[in-house]
Amino acid sequence: MNQPVSKVLVLDDSPTHSNAIKQFCDENNLVGLKVRKNRLMSVLRSNIDLGAILYSENYGGSPEENAEIAIKIHTVRPELPIILRRESGETLDSVPESMRRMYCAAYTTDDMGSLRKAIEEYIFSLTYPNALVRGISEITEGVLTSQFKNVSLSWGTPYIVRDRVIFGEVFSLIPLESSWCRGYMMLQTEEEPILGMLNSDPLFPESNFRDVNALLGEITNLIWGAFKNRYIGDAAAVSGSMIQVPLVVNHKHKYISFGSENPQLCFLYTLTDAEKQREVKVYQRFIFNLSWSPEDFKEIVHDVDELVSSGEMELF
Amino acid sequence: MAKILVVDDSSTVRDEVAGFLKSNGLDVATAVDGKDGLVKLKADPGIKLVVSDVNMPNMDGLTMVEKIRGELGNATVNVIMLTTESSPSMKERGKAAGIKGWIVKPFNGAAVLETFKKLAG
Repeated sequence: MNQPVSKVLVLDDSPTHSNAIKQFCDENNLVGLKVRKNRLMSVLRSNIDLGAILYSENYGGSPEENAEIAIKIHTVRPELPIILRRESGETLDSVPESMRRMYCAAYTTDDMGSLRKAIEEYIFSLTYPNALVRGISEITEGVLTSQFKNVSLSWGTPYIVRDRVIFGEVFSLIPLESSWCRGYMMLQTEEEPILGMLNSDPLFPESNFRDVNALLGEITNLIWGAFKNRYIGDAAAVSGSMIQVPLVVNHKHKYISFGSENPQLCFLYTLTDAEKQREVKVYQRFIFNLSWSPEDFKEIVHDVDELVSSGEMELF
Repeated sequence: MAKILVVDDSSTVRDEVAGFLKSNGLDVATAVDGKDGLVKLKADPGIKLVVSDVNMPNMDGLTMVEKIRGELGNATVNVIMLTTESSPSMKERGKAAGIKGWIVKPFNGAAVLETFKKLAG
């Protein structure tokens, strides 16, 4: 459950190779997704949590058609690595030069070592300590259940994403600064489902988007605080690197760039009010774009006399 | 009646804390950050307890407490921090400025109501 997986779009119709690809996905923490050709572009435009694309050189039916599809994919989602399956020769050497930049690597099903190497390089390039992955889920569960009363919460296996497409209409960002990580936590959600839940509460019958913003802000703040207390401690006060990079948001394409190609650690939480048939999805992403040293990661052990439960007062 | 000033940049928290205190018969004012908190406190001598967040824009909660004691010369108003922070160095800074207590969010009104009443009395 704590070992992140990654979703890959498998654009490969060959029945001869499908078992090998499926087995590879199963053994390498990949979730293979298939899509009908006529829905490919709409799926690419809407799917927000892909790690890569496994693409057969025969997918288009002809070299020209295949090149056209690859160019379209690369144009729509340049951040997604396209890994090309070839019938022979696990390199891109014989691919026309103009097309080579569309692909990040090539493989054949006779030698899956090349695919494994590409996956490690382009998807699982950052190691996330199990204690961190587990802790994030625990912290976020506690915060979400404190803010949304009388609803059930579920979340799936965390996963690694390469894409940069924003889910929903509202998102929050907060910096994470420590000796072992520098980057951001981002929460993304949709406005209407949260408004629906807020408005069904007699205390907030006329909530508007500002209330959604405030709630998401407070959820972000609570998770950030707990994360800091558990994993950063006082070290936050002494980090203070001045290095920053611009973040770019393109509203038209619902796209956010952190200036880094690093894959992101993603969690999806679903809050369900079964009685009122309402559901809220919250995507949580960790983007360690400025620095990442998991070897220095540690959990802060508090002294016994510092332990005061949340909500209780420590009197001085 | 003695008044409690709730200082937090999050309207969600302000509404939650102020609503809870009002529903328990307490008189409450609110401020959106440390700067606003200083203005409200200066203008209203009836405020006997300040419940404040730490991380806020414009002026953080601990700086606000230091200014309450220093610039305003108010040594008597009680201050409780209500925050996601729990780092020892921040608590030490708060103690040095004379705060009375520290609460780690989320807010649990039932656990602190009686103490709030005493400190606001």
